[in-house]
Amino acid sequence: MIEAALAIVLGGVFNAAILFLVSAGLQLVFGVQKIVNLACGSFYALGAYFGISAVQWALGAGTPRPLFLAVLLLSGVALAAIGPVIERLLRTIYARDESFQMLLTFALVLMFEDILRIVWGPRTHVMGGGLYTLYGQLPFGAVKIPVYNLLVILAALAIAILMGLFLARTRFGRIVRATAENREMSEALGVDMARVYARVFTLGTALGTVGGALVVTSTAASLDMGIELIVDAFAVVVIGGLGSMRGAFVGALIVGVLKAVSIATYPELELMAVYMIVIAVLVLRPAGLFARATA
Amino acid sequence: MKHRAALALALLAMALVPLAGRDYYTTLMLPFFAYGIALFGLNLLFGYTGVLSFGHALFVAVGAYTAAYLTSAFGILHFEVILLVAIGAAVVVAIPVGLLCIRYVKIYFGMLTLAFGMLFYSFLYKFYHLTGGDEGMRVLRPTLLGQSFPTLDKVGFLTGPYYYYSLALLVIATFVMWRVVRSPLGLSLRSIRENPDKAQYVGVSVRRYRFFAFVIAAVFGAVGGALLSIPTGLVDPLLAYWTHSGNLVFMLLLGGFTNFFGPILGAFVFIFLQDQVMSLTQYWRLVFGAILAVVVIFFPHGLMGLVDPRRRAGT
Amino acid sequence: MFYGDFCALDGVSLAVRDGEFVSIIGPNGAGKTTLVNVLTGLVRPTSGRVRFKGGDVAGVGPVPLARLGMARSFQLVSIFPALTVAETIAVAVLAQLGRGARPLAALARDAEVRERVREIADLFGLGDKLTRPGRTLAQGDKKLLDVASAFALHPEIILLDEPTSGVSTRDKTTIMDVLVQASKRIGIKAIIQVEHDMDIVFGYSDRIVALHQGRVLADSTPEDIRRDEHVVATVIGKRLR
Repeated sequence: MIEAALAIVLGGVFNAAILFLVSAGLQLVFGVQKIVNLACGSFYALGAYFGISAVQWALGAGTPRPLFLAVLLLSGVALAAIGPVIERLLRTIYARDESFQMLLTFALVLMFEDILRIVWGPRTHVMGGGLYTLYGQLPFGAVKIPVYNLLVILAALAIAILMGLFLARTRFGRIVRATAENREMSEALGVDMARVYARVFTLGTALGTVGGALVVTSTAASLDMGIELIVDAFAVVVIGGLGSMRGAFVGALIVGVLKAVSIATYPELELMAVYMIVIAVLVLRPAGLFARATA
Repeated sequence: MKHRAALALALLAMALVPLAGRDYYTTLMLPFFAYGIALFGLNLLFGYTGVLSFGHALFVAVGAYTAAYLTSAFGILHFEVILLVAIGAAVVVAIPVGLLCIRYVKIYFGMLTLAFGMLFYSFLYKFYHLTGGDEGMRVLRPTLLGQSFPTLDKVGFLTGPYYYYSLALLVIATFVMWRVVRSPLGLSLRSIRENPDKAQYVGVSVRRYRFFAFVIAAVFGAVGGALLSIPTGLVDPLLAYWTHSGNLVFMLLLGGFTNFFGPILGAFVFIFLQDQVMSLTQYWRLVFGAILAVVVIFFPHGLMGLVDPRRRAGT
Repeated sequence: MFYGDFCALDGVSLAVRDGEFVSIIGPNGAGKTTLVNVLTGLVRPTSGRVRFKGGDVAGVGPVPLARLGMARSFQLVSIFPALTVAETIAVAVLAQLGRGARPLAALARDAEVRERVREIADLFGLGDKLTRPGRTLAQGDKKLLDVASAFALHPEIILLDEPTSGVSTRDKTTIMDVLVQASKRIGIKAIIQVEHDMDIVFGYSDRIVALHQGRVLADSTPEDIRRDEHVVATVIGKRLR
């Protein structure tokens, strides 16, 4: 019984790991550029579809099967190349009201959905080939947990730690934090905003595409996966507080585990449970759990 | 005065459409009427009060499901009753949602309203015993002013009595919104849009008035939703999905949010353009996404902004 | 009044009577803005009360205070860019009449509002600019409009935060005369201003309150202040005529 419960929670942590990656991308872009990027879900979907294609191509070209995880990671990172392109587009309206920026990202959501449809077709794509269980499964009482899940959780943790170190210790990280805190001051101190924005956006994109790539082993890639994810990502961001990395971490854990638990216990409540937490947080602590004062 | 003439001409043209005998296009006007009404509400919030809701579809869904419930679950077919109940339901939902959301501004407000829309979607989806889940619910043909038009088939009903009924509702909604916008509340809302801090200092209760605008917008949304449900005869949870709210905002931006008639123009262009594009390619989202991007970047005041660049909302 | 550990106002007591024109002076950081924020209900004092018309109005916020009869203007000009002069003043008039929330009344046909708007606009010399959008006005007129909208609330007491800042010396007395005239016509019972220009301060005040480092240094008539060397040295400097 305990094992079954733990298995559910671990499943939730797996979801949380993926959700953290995408939400971290959202938070980073919002914290620095004050843009709510509705298209981060689209990046996630793109990462998923591209991940499948990359793995299928790599395996077909003779890559040993155990390396598929590396292929996924690499493909996710490679997709970050679209980051600068999209950032350039968004750059045209930086001076405008936030609502317009959000709308432009909505335009991207629409376009991406059809781009995915054009390239990969309307049906869902599955990774298949038994890759999910390739690394084995850990027996947990009556339940078996795929080692893949644990690897992804570790990967997300590693990325979280790396991001923390990056923001705290490196020079660019400090610039990022300074810009998030006070953009005008940063600019006045000679920081090249265009470069910072391009890099931050690319990093945010990469987080989204890697998240999508990692999830697609266990979950099918579908056209609306991005649109659905954005809602969870929003929940994470609201719970954790806009602009906070720590908030993304904790928020993702809460949302991921909560969803897993409610699917297992009260399926009707699943998504609603998440939103009720969102509303509760907003009523009690409007700025989220870890919000930072933005200049 | 040329504006009055243009309006009269437009109204006349709309009244004559069914007589042209092209049933397909006549029935296409019906969602246009519905969205026009819903968008008036959205623009009261955005164009006049400066608050962008990404959850307006919530109220459209409330109106649509009210129609579905009353007709197929309770057998109540009087459309006037349906409208009244839809308005009541909108108010009942808008009060708690509005009270909570109105404490926030800008991005937070947008995100919160999106969340509420999705909350309703998930409710509609999951509680399929009540709502039919993703299969939706049927909406039966209503009676208009007590008349059931038994001799007319579906198309005849939609292109005849229902068409003129919807057009009349649009005209009424236009009048009501015109009055609201020209009223003391309308002016106070515009002052909130222009400078919320200063508005407070001249005695305007910013939060309370935003709340009023929210409720009024919800009512218009629900009326639109009820109207929307009849032609298809079916409602489903996707009506409340956030991308539906996004499309509503898209329509508003397309038409122009700084002009009173922007919402109507936006609804019209969106519906008909979507129809045309869909007949050419299945990838209409790509085209529309590009259109939205172009509008946001180059023509933020929409089509009305092109036609009448100096005409700002309420001047 | 403490902001965290920082004591912005210490033991400040201020009483304003009917018919008084009180100026608050002091160097930057003396606590003038904090005092005004406390007086106008924007900020709640850590201790102490703000009594207005028999009630404690500490921290109530701008809207209830406006209804009670206290209005305020700001140093930085703040207008409604897209609203016309008439509309800007009308917002305040409607709030004062308690009609700001009516959703279906026809504003254009409200004669009482129209008259009041015209009255205020004329008092401030804006009568010929009623249909001009706020953003098209010259800077001086914007300032007048800003203050006019506060006056349109028919307050009993008005707080002016540096009313002549950003105005050329030549226009300063004009503006002050307009303000004093308008106050009399509308029936404003007391004016409190924060002002740096000592000529204006000494030219118009019945009483001067000098603040320094959060404390009241002096609170008396202009003549007494002039004779107080300590105040002159600390607050005024040698710019006195």
